[in-house]
Amino acid sequence: VLCISGGLPKPTNITFLSINMRNILQWSPPEGLQGTEVTYTVQYFIYGQKKWLNKSECRNISRTCCDLSVETSDYEHQYYAKVKAIWETNCSKWAETGRFNPFLETQIGPPGIALTTDERSISIVLTAPEKWKRNPEDSSLSMQQIYSNLKYNVSVYNTQSNRTWSQCVTNHTLVLSWLEPDTLYCVHVESFVPGPPRLAQPSEKLCVRTLKDQTSAVKVK
Amino acid sequence: GQEFQFGPCRVEGVVLQELWEAFWAVKDIVQAKDNITSVRLLRKEILQNVSDVESCYLIRALLKFYLNTIFKGYLGKAADSRIRKSFSTLANNFFVIASKLQPSQENDMFSISESARRRFLLFQRAFKQLDIQSAQTKAFGEVDILLTWMEKFYQ
Amino acid sequence: DGVAILPAPQNLSVHSTNMKHLLMWSPVVVPGEIIHYFVEYQGEYESLYMSHIWIPSSWGSPTEDPECDITDDITATVPYNLRVRASLGSQTSAWSTLQHPFNRNSTILTPPVMEVTKDGFHLVIKLEDLGPQFEFLVAYWRREPGAKEHVKVVRSRGIPVHLETMEPGVPYCVKVQTLVKAIGRHSPFSQVECVRVQGETLPL
Repeated sequence: VLCISGGLPKPTNITFLSINMRNILQWSPPEGLQGTEVTYTVQYFIYGQKKWLNKSECRNISRTCCDLSVETSDYEHQYYAKVKAIWETNCSKWAETGRFNPFLETQIGPPGIALTTDERSISIVLTAPEKWKRNPEDSSLSMQQIYSNLKYNVSVYNTQSNRTWSQCVTNHTLVLSWLEPDTLYCVHVESFVPGPPRLAQPSEKLCVRTLKDQTSAVKVK
Repeated sequence: GQEFQFGPCRVEGVVLQELWEAFWAVKDIVQAKDNITSVRLLRKEILQNVSDVESCYLIRALLKFYLNTIFKGYLGKAADSRIRKSFSTLANNFFVIASKLQPSQENDMFSISESARRRFLLFQRAFKQLDIQSAQTKAFGEVDILLTWMEKFYQ
Repeated sequence: DGVAILPAPQNLSVHSTNMKHLLMWSPVVVPGEIIHYFVEYQGEYESLYMSHIWIPSSWGSPTEDPECDITDDITATVPYNLRVRASLGSQTSAWSTLQHPFNRNSTILTPPVMEVTKDGFHLVIKLEDLGPQFEFLVAYWRREPGAKEHVKVVRSRGIPVHLETMEPGVPYCVKVQTLVKAIGRHSPFSQVECVRVQGETLPL
Protein backbone atom coordinates (compact mmCIF):
# COMPACT_ATOMS: atom_id res chain seq x y z
CA VAL A 1 0.00 0.00 0.00
CA LEU A 2 1.76 3.24 -1.13
CA CYS A 3 0.91 6.01 1.26
CA ILE A 4 2.54 8.91 3.03
CA SER A 5 3.80 7.34 6.24
CA GLY A 6 3.24 9.38 9.35
CA GLY A 7 0.49 11.42 7.64
CA LEU A 8 -1.94 10.05 10.25
CA PRO A 9 -1.67 9.61 13.99
CA LYS A 10 -1.08 6.01 15.12
CA PRO A 11 -3.86 3.72 16.37
CA THR A 12 -3.94 3.68 20.20
CA ASN A 13 -4.49 1.21 23.07
CA ILE A 14 -3.10 -1.72 21.08
CA THR A 15 -3.24 -4.87 23.21
CA PHE A 16 -3.91 -8.58 23.08
CA LEU A 17 -7.14 -9.81 24.63
CA SER A 18 -6.45 -13.47 25.41
CA ILE A 19 -8.84 -15.99 26.95
CA ASN A 20 -8.03 -19.72 26.89
CA MET A 21 -5.37 -18.93 24.27
CA ARG A 22 -7.78 -17.24 21.94
CA ASN A 23 -5.58 -14.26 21.18
CA ILE A 24 -7.30 -11.23 19.68
CA LEU A 25 -5.36 -8.10 18.84
CA GLN A 26 -7.45 -5.01 19.48
CA TRP A 27 -6.87 -1.28 19.23
CA SER A 28 -8.63 2.11 19.16
CA PRO A 29 -8.83 4.39 16.11
CA PRO A 30 -6.24 7.18 15.88
CA GLU A 31 -7.06 10.31 17.83
CA GLY A 32 -9.56 12.48 15.99
CA LEU A 33 -10.35 9.89 13.30
CA GLN A 34 -13.20 8.05 14.98
CA GLY A 35 -15.99 7.44 12.48
CA THR A 36 -13.96 8.20 9.37
CA GLU A 37 -13.30 5.64 6.64
CA VAL A 38 -9.99 4.52 8.15
CA THR A 39 -8.69 1.05 7.38
CA TYR A 40 -6.01 -0.93 9.16
CA THR A 41 -3.27 -3.40 8.35
CA VAL A 42 -1.78 -5.82 10.88
CA GLN A 43 1.55 -7.63 11.09
CA TYR A 44 2.96 -9.92 13.75
CA PHE A 45 6.42 -11.04 14.83
CA ILE A 46 7.74 -14.09 16.69
CA TYR A 47 10.30 -13.05 19.29
CA GLY A 48 13.74 -14.37 18.32
CA GLN A 49 12.92 -14.69 14.64
CA LYS A 50 13.82 -12.39 11.81
CA LYS A 51 10.85 -10.94 9.93
CA TRP A 52 7.52 -9.28 10.50
CA LEU A 53 4.80 -11.45 8.98
CA ASN A 54 1.59 -10.41 7.30
CA LYS A 55 -1.85 -11.47 8.39
CA SER A 56 -3.67 -11.50 5.06
CA GLU A 57 -7.16 -11.52 6.60
CA CYS A 58 -6.26 -8.30 8.44
CA ARG A 59 -5.08 -6.18 5.53
CA ASN A 60 -7.08 -2.99 4.83
CA ILE A 61 -9.79 -3.93 7.32
CA SER A 62 -12.15 -1.41 8.86
CA ARG A 63 -12.76 -3.26 12.16
CA THR A 64 -10.43 -2.56 15.10
CA CYS A 65 -9.58 -6.13 16.02
CA CYS A 66 -7.79 -9.06 14.44
CA ASP A 67 -7.81 -12.69 15.54
CA LEU A 68 -4.20 -13.85 15.72
CA SER A 69 -4.96 -17.08 17.57
CA VAL A 70 -3.58 -19.30 14.81
CA GLU A 71 -0.43 -17.28 14.41
CA THR A 72 0.23 -17.19 18.16
CA SER A 73 -0.88 -20.73 19.01
CA ASP A 74 2.59 -22.00 19.99
CA TYR A 75 2.55 -20.84 23.58
CA GLU A 76 6.23 -21.52 24.07
CA HIS A 77 6.94 -18.49 21.92
CA GLN A 78 6.45 -14.82 22.65
CA TYR A 79 5.08 -12.38 20.11
CA TYR A 80 4.75 -8.78 19.03
CA ALA A 81 2.03 -7.34 16.81
CA LYS A 82 1.66 -3.98 15.15
CA VAL A 83 -1.07 -2.12 13.26
CA LYS A 84 -1.12 0.96 11.11
CA ALA A 85 -4.01 3.17 9.97
CA ILE A 86 -4.61 4.07 6.33
CA TRP A 87 -6.90 6.83 5.07
CA GLU A 88 -6.91 7.83 1.43
CA THR A 89 -3.25 8.45 0.59
CA ASN A 90 -2.11 8.89 4.17
CA CYS A 91 -1.08 6.23 6.64
CA SER A 92 0.20 6.24 10.18
CA LYS A 93 3.42 4.83 11.56
CA TRP A 94 3.11 1.41 13.11
CA ALA A 95 1.67 1.12 16.62
CA GLU A 96 3.25 -1.87 18.34
CA THR A 97 2.35 -4.07 21.31
CA GLY A 98 4.78 -4.99 24.07
CA ARG A 99 6.07 -8.54 24.15
CA PHE A 100 3.06 -10.85 24.46
CA ASN A 101 3.58 -14.15 26.31
CA PRO A 102 0.37 -16.20 25.81
CA PHE A 103 1.38 -18.89 28.30
CA LEU A 104 1.67 -16.32 31.09
CA GLU A 105 -0.95 -13.79 30.01
CA THR A 106 -3.95 -15.72 28.76
CA GLN A 107 -6.97 -15.56 31.06
CA ILE A 108 -8.11 -18.99 32.20
CA GLY A 109 -11.81 -19.37 31.59
CA PRO A 110 -14.11 -20.85 34.24
CA PRO A 111 -14.80 -24.60 34.18
CA GLY A 112 -18.12 -26.01 33.06
CA ILE A 113 -20.29 -26.82 36.08
CA ALA A 114 -22.92 -29.58 36.36
CA LEU A 115 -24.92 -29.91 39.58
CA THR A 116 -27.10 -32.83 40.65
CA THR A 117 -28.84 -33.01 44.00
CA ASP A 118 -30.89 -35.15 46.34
CA GLU A 119 -32.27 -34.26 49.78
CA ARG A 120 -28.96 -33.79 51.51
CA SER A 121 -26.19 -33.56 48.99
CA ILE A 122 -25.08 -31.80 45.88
CA SER A 123 -22.58 -33.33 43.52
CA ILE A 124 -20.55 -30.90 41.49
CA VAL A 125 -18.88 -32.05 38.29
CA LEU A 126 -16.41 -29.60 36.77
CA THR A 127 -15.23 -29.68 33.17
CA ALA A 128 -11.89 -28.02 32.60
CA PRO A 129 -11.95 -25.04 30.23
CA GLU A 130 -10.76 -25.87 26.75
CA LYS A 131 -7.94 -24.29 24.80
CA TRP A 132 -9.19 -22.35 21.81
CA LYS A 133 -9.19 -24.41 18.61
CA ARG A 134 -9.36 -23.29 15.02
CA ASN A 135 -12.11 -25.64 13.89
CA PRO A 136 -14.86 -27.16 16.04
CA GLU A 137 -13.95 -30.60 14.72
CA ASP A 138 -10.32 -30.25 15.74
CA SER A 139 -9.39 -32.38 18.74
CA SER A 140 -9.84 -30.62 22.06
CA LEU A 141 -7.02 -29.73 24.40
CA SER A 142 -7.95 -29.00 28.01
CA MET A 143 -6.30 -26.06 29.73
CA GLN A 144 -5.48 -28.57 32.48
CA GLN A 145 -3.14 -30.30 30.03
CA ILE A 146 -1.32 -27.00 29.53
CA TYR A 147 -1.37 -25.90 33.17
CA SER A 148 -0.81 -28.97 35.32
CA ASN A 149 -1.10 -26.79 38.45
CA LEU A 150 -4.59 -25.53 37.47
CA LYS A 151 -6.86 -25.36 40.54
CA TYR A 152 -10.51 -24.45 41.14
CA ASN A 153 -11.84 -22.22 43.86
CA VAL A 154 -15.34 -23.56 44.62
CA SER A 155 -17.56 -21.22 46.64
CA VAL A 156 -20.83 -22.52 48.09
CA TYR A 157 -23.49 -20.11 49.33
CA ASN A 158 -26.34 -21.34 51.55
CA THR A 159 -29.12 -18.86 50.74
CA GLN A 160 -31.02 -19.83 53.90
CA SER A 161 -28.20 -19.40 56.45
CA ASN A 162 -26.66 -16.66 54.31
CA ARG A 163 -23.31 -18.35 54.76
CA THR A 164 -20.58 -18.94 52.20
CA TRP A 165 -17.64 -21.28 52.40
CA SER A 166 -15.10 -22.24 49.85
CA GLN A 167 -12.82 -25.06 48.91
CA CYS A 168 -9.78 -25.16 46.67
CA VAL A 169 -9.80 -28.37 44.62
CA THR A 170 -7.74 -29.84 41.84
CA ASN A 171 -9.96 -32.75 40.81
CA HIS A 172 -13.17 -32.39 38.83
CA THR A 173 -15.78 -33.92 41.12
CA LEU A 174 -16.87 -32.72 44.51
CA VAL A 175 -19.76 -33.95 46.66
CA LEU A 176 -21.22 -31.65 49.27
CA SER A 177 -23.00 -33.90 51.74
CA TRP A 178 -25.15 -33.44 54.81
CA LEU A 179 -26.81 -30.34 53.45
CA GLU A 180 -30.13 -28.91 54.52
CA PRO A 181 -33.12 -30.37 52.68
CA ASP A 182 -35.31 -28.09 50.58
CA THR A 183 -32.67 -25.35 50.60
CA LEU A 184 -31.34 -23.26 47.74
CA TYR A 185 -27.56 -23.48 47.40
CA CYS A 186 -25.56 -21.41 44.90
CA VAL A 187 -22.20 -22.54 43.54
CA HIS A 188 -19.60 -20.34 41.91
CA VAL A 189 -16.27 -21.64 40.57
CA GLU A 190 -13.14 -19.81 39.46
CA SER A 191 -10.13 -21.32 37.72
CA PHE A 192 -6.77 -20.43 39.19
CA VAL A 193 -3.14 -20.97 38.06
CA PRO A 194 -0.28 -20.01 40.39
CA GLY A 195 2.27 -17.74 38.74
CA PRO A 196 2.20 -14.18 37.52
CA PRO A 197 -0.89 -12.10 38.31
CA ARG A 198 -3.58 -13.01 35.77
CA LEU A 199 -6.99 -11.55 35.10
CA ALA A 200 -9.58 -14.09 36.26
CA GLN A 201 -12.65 -15.10 34.33
CA PRO A 202 -15.36 -15.73 36.92
CA SER A 203 -17.92 -18.46 36.33
CA GLU A 204 -21.55 -17.65 36.41
CA LYS A 205 -23.37 -18.61 39.61
CA LEU A 206 -25.39 -21.83 39.42
CA CYS A 207 -28.10 -22.50 42.01
CA VAL A 208 -29.89 -25.70 42.89
CA ARG A 209 -32.43 -26.58 45.56
CA THR A 210 -31.98 -29.76 47.62
CA LEU A 211 -35.01 -32.01 47.59
CA LYS A 212 -37.61 -32.01 50.30
CA ASP A 213 -36.75 -34.47 53.06
CA GLN A 214 -39.15 -37.42 52.90
CA THR A 215 -38.40 -38.43 56.50
CA SER A 216 -37.85 -35.55 58.93
CA ALA A 217 -35.39 -37.55 61.07
CA VAL A 218 -33.21 -34.86 62.40
CA LYS A 219 -33.87 -31.35 63.58
CA VAL A 220 -30.64 -29.31 63.49
CA LYS A 221 -30.41 -26.72 66.23
CA GLY B 1 4.87 -27.65 49.32
CA GLN B 2 6.48 -24.40 48.17
CA GLU B 3 9.90 -25.81 47.36
CA PHE B 4 11.96 -26.48 44.26
CA GLN B 5 12.88 -30.03 43.35
CA PHE B 6 15.46 -29.93 40.54
CA GLY B 7 15.97 -33.66 40.36
CA PRO B 8 18.00 -34.55 43.45
CA CYS B 9 18.49 -30.87 44.37
CA ARG B 10 15.86 -29.61 46.77
CA VAL B 11 15.56 -25.89 47.61
CA GLU B 12 13.30 -24.47 50.30
CA GLY B 13 12.80 -20.91 51.50
CA VAL B 14 11.86 -19.28 48.21
CA VAL B 15 8.29 -18.23 47.42
CA LEU B 16 8.04 -18.31 43.62
CA GLN B 17 5.01 -16.01 43.75
CA GLU B 18 7.27 -13.24 45.14
CA LEU B 19 9.56 -13.62 42.13
CA TRP B 20 6.66 -13.51 39.68
CA GLU B 21 5.27 -10.38 41.28
CA ALA B 22 8.69 -8.72 41.32
CA PHE B 23 9.29 -9.39 37.63
CA TRP B 24 5.74 -8.62 36.55
CA ALA B 25 5.98 -5.18 38.12
CA VAL B 26 8.75 -4.24 35.66
CA LYS B 27 8.16 -6.63 32.73
CA ASP B 28 6.85 -4.05 30.29
CA ILE B 29 9.49 -1.45 31.18
CA VAL B 30 12.40 -3.88 30.92
CA GLN B 31 11.23 -5.69 27.77
CA ALA B 32 10.56 -2.35 26.06
CA LYS B 33 14.28 -1.50 26.50
CA ASP B 34 15.20 -4.62 24.46
CA ASN B 35 15.25 -3.50 20.82
CA ILE B 36 16.94 -6.60 19.42
CA THR B 37 13.73 -8.61 19.04
CA SER B 38 15.31 -10.92 16.47
CA VAL B 39 17.43 -12.57 19.18
CA ARG B 40 16.09 -14.76 21.96
CA LEU B 41 18.73 -15.95 24.46
CA LEU B 42 16.71 -18.65 26.28
CA ARG B 43 15.58 -20.39 23.11
CA LYS B 44 13.16 -23.29 23.18
CA GLU B 45 15.84 -25.91 22.51
CA ILE B 46 17.83 -24.79 25.56
CA LEU B 47 15.02 -25.46 28.04
CA GLN B 48 13.04 -28.16 26.24
CA ASN B 49 13.11 -31.82 27.36
CA VAL B 50 15.50 -31.24 30.27
CA SER B 51 15.47 -34.31 32.51
CA ASP B 52 15.03 -33.89 36.22
CA VAL B 53 18.58 -34.96 36.91
CA GLU B 54 19.99 -32.59 34.33
CA SER B 55 17.88 -29.67 35.60
CA CYS B 56 20.02 -29.15 38.71
CA TYR B 57 23.18 -28.65 36.64
CA LEU B 58 21.44 -26.35 34.17
CA ILE B 59 19.64 -24.15 36.69
CA ARG B 60 22.83 -23.75 38.69
CA ALA B 61 24.79 -22.62 35.63
CA LEU B 62 22.04 -20.23 34.54
CA LEU B 63 21.54 -18.67 38.00
CA LYS B 64 25.26 -18.21 38.56
CA PHE B 65 25.51 -16.48 35.17
CA TYR B 66 22.57 -14.25 36.02
CA LEU B 67 24.14 -13.38 39.38
CA ASN B 68 27.72 -12.86 38.21
CA THR B 69 27.26 -11.40 34.75
CA ILE B 70 23.75 -10.09 34.22
CA PHE B 71 22.56 -8.67 37.50
CA LYS B 72 25.94 -7.38 38.58
CA GLY B 73 26.21 -4.99 35.68
CA TYR B 74 22.59 -4.21 35.23
CA LEU B 75 21.69 -2.81 38.62
CA GLY B 76 24.31 -0.13 38.58
CA LYS B 77 22.67 1.38 35.50
CA ALA B 78 19.03 0.91 36.58
CA ALA B 79 18.02 4.34 37.83
CA ASP B 80 14.30 3.54 38.14
CA SER B 81 13.71 2.52 41.77
CA ARG B 82 10.93 0.13 40.76
CA ILE B 83 13.42 -1.77 38.65
CA ARG B 84 15.97 -1.71 41.46
CA LYS B 85 13.40 -3.05 43.91
CA SER B 86 12.26 -5.89 41.63
CA PHE B 87 15.82 -6.54 40.71
CA SER B 88 16.83 -6.88 44.36
CA THR B 89 14.06 -9.40 44.99
CA LEU B 90 15.10 -11.51 42.01
CA ALA B 91 18.84 -11.27 42.69
CA ASN B 92 18.57 -12.17 46.37
CA ASN B 93 16.21 -15.09 45.75
CA PHE B 94 18.38 -16.36 42.87
CA PHE B 95 21.27 -16.06 45.34
CA VAL B 96 19.39 -18.22 47.87
CA ILE B 97 18.56 -20.86 45.25
CA ALA B 98 22.05 -20.98 43.75
CA SER B 99 23.66 -21.29 47.17
CA LYS B 100 21.51 -24.33 48.00
CA LEU B 101 22.06 -26.24 44.74
CA GLN B 102 24.60 -29.03 45.21
CA PRO B 103 24.55 -31.18 42.05
CA SER B 104 26.42 -34.45 42.26
CA GLN B 105 30.00 -34.39 40.99
CA GLU B 106 30.18 -38.17 40.57
CA ASN B 107 31.84 -39.51 37.43
CA ASP B 108 28.75 -41.40 36.38
CA MET B 109 26.95 -38.07 36.12
CA PHE B 110 29.48 -36.67 33.62
CA SER B 111 27.35 -37.16 30.52
CA ILE B 112 24.36 -35.49 32.15
CA SER B 113 26.35 -32.53 33.41
CA GLU B 114 27.91 -32.26 29.95
CA SER B 115 24.49 -32.12 28.35
CA ALA B 116 23.52 -29.33 30.73
CA ARG B 117 26.77 -27.53 29.96
CA ARG B 118 26.08 -27.68 26.21
CA ARG B 119 22.64 -26.19 26.75
CA PHE B 120 24.14 -23.44 28.89
CA LEU B 121 26.81 -22.72 26.28
CA LEU B 122 24.09 -22.13 23.66
CA PHE B 123 22.71 -19.44 25.96
CA GLN B 124 26.11 -17.97 26.81
CA ARG B 125 27.21 -17.88 23.14
CA ALA B 126 24.06 -16.00 22.13
CA PHE B 127 24.65 -13.62 25.05
CA LYS B 128 28.23 -12.89 23.96
CA GLN B 129 27.21 -12.08 20.42
CA LEU B 130 25.55 -8.90 21.68
CA ASP B 131 27.14 -5.89 23.32
CA ILE B 132 27.16 -6.38 27.07
CA GLN B 133 24.52 -3.77 27.92
CA SER B 134 22.03 -5.01 25.32
CA ALA B 135 22.69 -8.57 26.39
CA GLN B 136 22.11 -7.78 30.08
CA THR B 137 18.88 -5.93 29.25
CA LYS B 138 17.68 -8.80 27.06
CA ALA B 139 18.54 -11.46 29.65
CA PHE B 140 16.74 -9.52 32.35
CA GLY B 141 13.71 -9.23 30.04
CA GLU B 142 13.71 -12.99 29.58
CA VAL B 143 13.34 -13.77 33.29
CA ASP B 144 9.70 -14.69 32.55
CA ILE B 145 10.94 -17.51 30.29
CA LEU B 146 13.34 -18.66 33.03
CA LEU B 147 10.67 -18.52 35.77
CA THR B 148 8.19 -20.41 33.56
CA TRP B 149 10.73 -23.21 33.23
CA MET B 150 11.63 -23.12 36.94
CA GLU B 151 7.93 -23.35 37.85
CA LYS B 152 7.85 -26.88 36.40
CA PHE B 153 10.13 -27.93 39.25
CA TYR B 154 8.20 -26.08 41.96
CA GLN B 155 6.01 -28.22 44.15
CA ASP C 1 27.72 22.44 52.80
CA GLY C 2 24.96 21.32 55.20
CA VAL C 3 26.17 17.71 55.47
CA ALA C 4 26.30 15.92 58.89
CA ILE C 5 25.40 18.97 61.03
CA LEU C 6 22.18 17.15 61.83
CA PRO C 7 22.73 14.23 64.26
CA ALA C 8 22.21 10.78 62.79
CA PRO C 9 19.23 8.76 64.06
CA GLN C 10 20.19 6.33 66.84
CA ASN C 11 19.00 3.05 68.33
CA LEU C 12 17.88 1.41 65.11
CA SER C 13 15.96 -1.81 65.64
CA VAL C 14 13.55 -4.04 63.72
CA HIS C 15 10.33 -5.33 65.25
CA SER C 16 8.96 -8.23 63.20
CA THR C 17 5.79 -10.21 63.84
CA ASN C 18 4.03 -12.52 61.38
CA MET C 19 6.26 -11.37 58.55
CA LYS C 20 5.40 -7.68 59.08
CA HIS C 21 8.67 -5.88 59.66
CA LEU C 22 8.93 -2.43 61.26
CA LEU C 23 12.24 -0.55 61.40
CA MET C 24 12.29 1.89 64.33
CA TRP C 25 14.79 4.45 65.65
CA SER C 26 15.07 7.27 68.15
CA PRO C 27 13.78 10.53 66.68
CA VAL C 28 16.13 13.39 65.90
CA VAL C 29 14.68 16.45 67.63
CA VAL C 30 15.13 20.03 66.44
CA PRO C 31 12.64 22.22 68.34
CA GLY C 32 9.98 23.68 66.09
CA GLU C 33 11.18 21.77 63.01
CA ILE C 34 9.87 18.76 61.10
CA ILE C 35 12.56 16.19 60.44
CA HIS C 36 12.28 13.87 57.45
CA TYR C 37 13.95 10.48 57.42
CA PHE C 38 15.19 8.44 54.47
CA VAL C 39 15.44 4.66 54.76
CA GLU C 40 17.45 2.46 52.40
CA TYR C 41 18.16 -1.26 52.25
CA GLN C 42 20.39 -3.77 50.52
CA GLY C 43 20.10 -7.54 50.46
CA GLU C 44 22.90 -10.03 50.82
CA TYR C 45 23.48 -10.03 47.07
CA GLU C 46 23.99 -6.30 46.92
CA SER C 47 26.16 -6.25 50.01
CA LEU C 48 28.41 -8.99 48.58
CA TYR C 49 28.57 -8.03 44.91
CA MET C 50 27.79 -4.29 44.75
CA SER C 51 28.03 -2.86 48.23
CA HIS C 52 27.73 0.70 46.95
CA ILE C 53 24.13 -0.04 45.84
CA TRP C 54 21.36 0.86 48.28
CA ILE C 55 17.68 0.87 47.43
CA PRO C 56 15.19 3.42 48.79
CA SER C 57 12.54 1.80 50.98
CA SER C 58 9.08 1.59 49.46
CA TRP C 59 7.37 3.35 52.35
CA GLY C 60 10.16 5.07 54.25
CA SER C 61 11.84 7.41 51.85
CA PRO C 62 10.88 9.96 53.04
CA THR C 63 8.92 9.62 56.26
CA GLU C 64 8.30 11.98 59.17
CA ASP C 65 7.79 9.23 61.73
CA PRO C 66 10.75 7.59 63.48
CA GLU C 67 9.68 4.24 62.00
CA CYS C 68 9.23 2.61 58.61
CA ASP C 69 7.30 -0.46 57.43
CA ILE C 70 9.93 -2.38 55.48
CA THR C 71 7.75 -5.45 54.83
CA ASP C 72 7.58 -4.84 51.07
CA ASP C 73 11.34 -4.35 50.90
CA ILE C 74 12.32 -7.61 52.60
CA THR C 75 11.44 -10.07 49.83
CA ALA C 76 14.03 -12.82 50.26
CA THR C 77 15.17 -14.94 53.17
CA VAL C 78 18.64 -13.41 53.34
CA PRO C 79 20.26 -10.87 55.72
CA TYR C 80 19.39 -7.26 54.84
CA ASN C 81 21.42 -4.19 55.74
CA LEU C 82 19.27 -1.19 56.64
CA ARG C 83 20.25 2.45 57.11
CA VAL C 84 18.49 5.71 57.98
CA ARG C 85 19.44 9.34 57.81
CA ALA C 86 17.69 12.54 58.91
CA SER C 87 17.08 15.57 56.76
CA LEU C 88 16.03 19.14 57.54
CA GLY C 89 15.93 21.49 54.58
CA SER C 90 19.43 21.38 53.11
CA GLN C 91 20.87 19.77 56.22
CA THR C 92 21.41 16.03 56.01
CA SER C 93 22.73 13.74 58.75
CA ALA C 94 25.16 10.90 58.30
CA TRP C 95 23.71 7.47 57.64
CA SER C 96 23.01 5.34 60.66
CA THR C 97 23.15 1.59 59.85
CA LEU C 98 21.38 -1.23 61.70
CA GLN C 99 24.00 -2.93 63.80
CA HIS C 100 23.09 -6.50 62.80
CA PRO C 101 21.60 -7.30 59.38
CA PHE C 102 17.95 -8.31 59.60
CA ASN C 103 16.73 -11.67 58.27
CA ARG C 104 12.99 -12.30 58.04
CA ASN C 105 13.49 -15.82 59.39
CA SER C 106 13.69 -14.18 62.83
CA THR C 107 10.10 -12.94 62.69
CA ILE C 108 7.83 -13.83 65.62
CA LEU C 109 5.02 -16.14 64.50
CA THR C 110 1.72 -16.19 66.36
CA PRO C 111 -1.34 -18.37 65.72
CA PRO C 112 -4.00 -16.60 63.65
CA VAL C 113 -7.32 -15.32 64.89
CA MET C 114 -9.79 -18.08 64.02
CA GLU C 115 -13.59 -18.38 64.00
CA VAL C 116 -14.98 -21.90 64.11
CA THR C 117 -18.63 -22.12 63.06
CA LYS C 118 -21.06 -24.65 61.71
CA ASP C 119 -23.42 -24.39 58.80
CA GLY C 120 -25.87 -27.20 59.36
CA PHE C 121 -23.68 -30.32 59.58
CA HIS C 122 -20.66 -28.54 58.14
CA LEU C 123 -17.66 -27.55 60.24
CA VAL C 124 -16.40 -24.27 58.81
CA ILE C 125 -13.35 -22.24 59.82
CA LYS C 126 -12.52 -18.66 59.03
CA LEU C 127 -8.91 -17.55 59.52
CA GLU C 128 -7.28 -14.14 59.70
CA ASP C 129 -5.72 -13.02 56.40
CA LEU C 130 -2.03 -12.63 57.24
CA GLY C 131 -0.86 -12.33 53.65
CA PRO C 132 0.13 -14.50 50.69
CA GLN C 133 3.11 -16.14 52.39
CA PHE C 134 0.97 -17.76 55.06
CA GLU C 135 -0.53 -21.20 55.14
CA PHE C 136 -2.38 -22.61 58.11
CA LEU C 137 -2.13 -26.08 59.50
CA VAL C 138 -5.60 -26.86 60.86
CA ALA C 139 -5.94 -29.88 63.16
CA TYR C 140 -9.46 -31.12 63.99
CA TRP C 141 -10.86 -34.14 65.74
CA ARG C 142 -14.00 -35.60 67.36
CA ARG C 143 -13.83 -35.13 71.09
CA GLU C 144 -14.22 -38.76 72.11
CA PRO C 145 -11.82 -41.42 73.33
CA GLY C 146 -9.41 -42.71 70.72
CA ALA C 147 -10.39 -40.08 68.21
CA LYS C 148 -7.97 -39.56 65.33
CA GLU C 149 -6.61 -36.08 64.61
CA HIS C 150 -7.11 -34.85 61.04
CA VAL C 151 -4.91 -32.22 59.50
CA LYS C 152 -5.60 -29.88 56.61
CA VAL C 153 -3.30 -27.18 55.18
CA VAL C 154 -5.38 -24.17 54.26
CA ARG C 155 -4.49 -20.99 52.37
CA SER C 156 -7.87 -19.36 52.78
CA ARG C 157 -6.96 -15.67 53.10
CA GLY C 158 -9.95 -14.54 55.10
CA ILE C 159 -12.60 -16.70 53.37
CA PRO C 160 -14.49 -19.38 55.37
CA VAL C 161 -13.24 -22.86 54.50
CA HIS C 162 -15.10 -26.14 54.78
CA LEU C 163 -13.33 -28.56 57.09
CA GLU C 164 -15.52 -31.54 57.75
CA THR C 165 -19.04 -32.86 57.61
CA MET C 166 -20.04 -33.52 61.22
CA GLU C 167 -22.16 -36.23 62.71
CA PRO C 168 -24.65 -34.92 65.22
CA GLY C 169 -24.18 -35.35 68.97
CA VAL C 170 -20.36 -35.37 69.02
CA PRO C 171 -18.27 -32.22 69.68
CA TYR C 172 -15.69 -31.43 67.05
CA CYS C 173 -12.56 -29.54 68.16
CA VAL C 174 -10.15 -27.42 66.16
CA LYS C 175 -6.73 -25.82 66.68
CA VAL C 176 -4.56 -24.02 64.13
CA GLN C 177 -0.97 -22.83 63.62
CA THR C 178 0.57 -20.57 60.99
CA LEU C 179 3.10 -22.00 58.51
CA VAL C 180 5.53 -19.80 56.59
CA LYS C 181 7.38 -21.88 54.01
CA ALA C 182 9.55 -18.93 52.97
CA ILE C 183 11.37 -19.17 56.29
CA GLY C 184 10.58 -22.83 57.07
CA ARG C 185 8.93 -22.10 60.42
CA HIS C 186 5.54 -22.31 62.12
CA SER C 187 3.82 -20.70 65.09
CA PRO C 188 2.61 -22.45 68.24
CA PHE C 189 -0.92 -23.88 68.07
CA SER C 190 -3.87 -21.68 68.93
CA GLN C 191 -6.37 -22.32 71.71
CA VAL C 192 -8.71 -25.22 70.99
CA GLU C 193 -12.29 -24.39 69.97
CA CYS C 194 -15.10 -26.97 69.85
CA VAL C 195 -18.57 -27.01 68.28
CA ARG C 196 -21.29 -29.61 68.25
CA VAL C 197 -24.29 -30.32 66.04
CA GLN C 198 -27.36 -31.12 68.17
CA GLY C 199 -29.67 -33.90 67.15
CA GLU C 200 -30.27 -37.56 68.05
CA THR C 201 -30.53 -39.87 65.14
CA LEU C 202 -29.25 -39.82 61.59
CA PRO C 203 -31.55 -39.97 58.55
CA LEU C 204 -31.61 -43.34 56.77
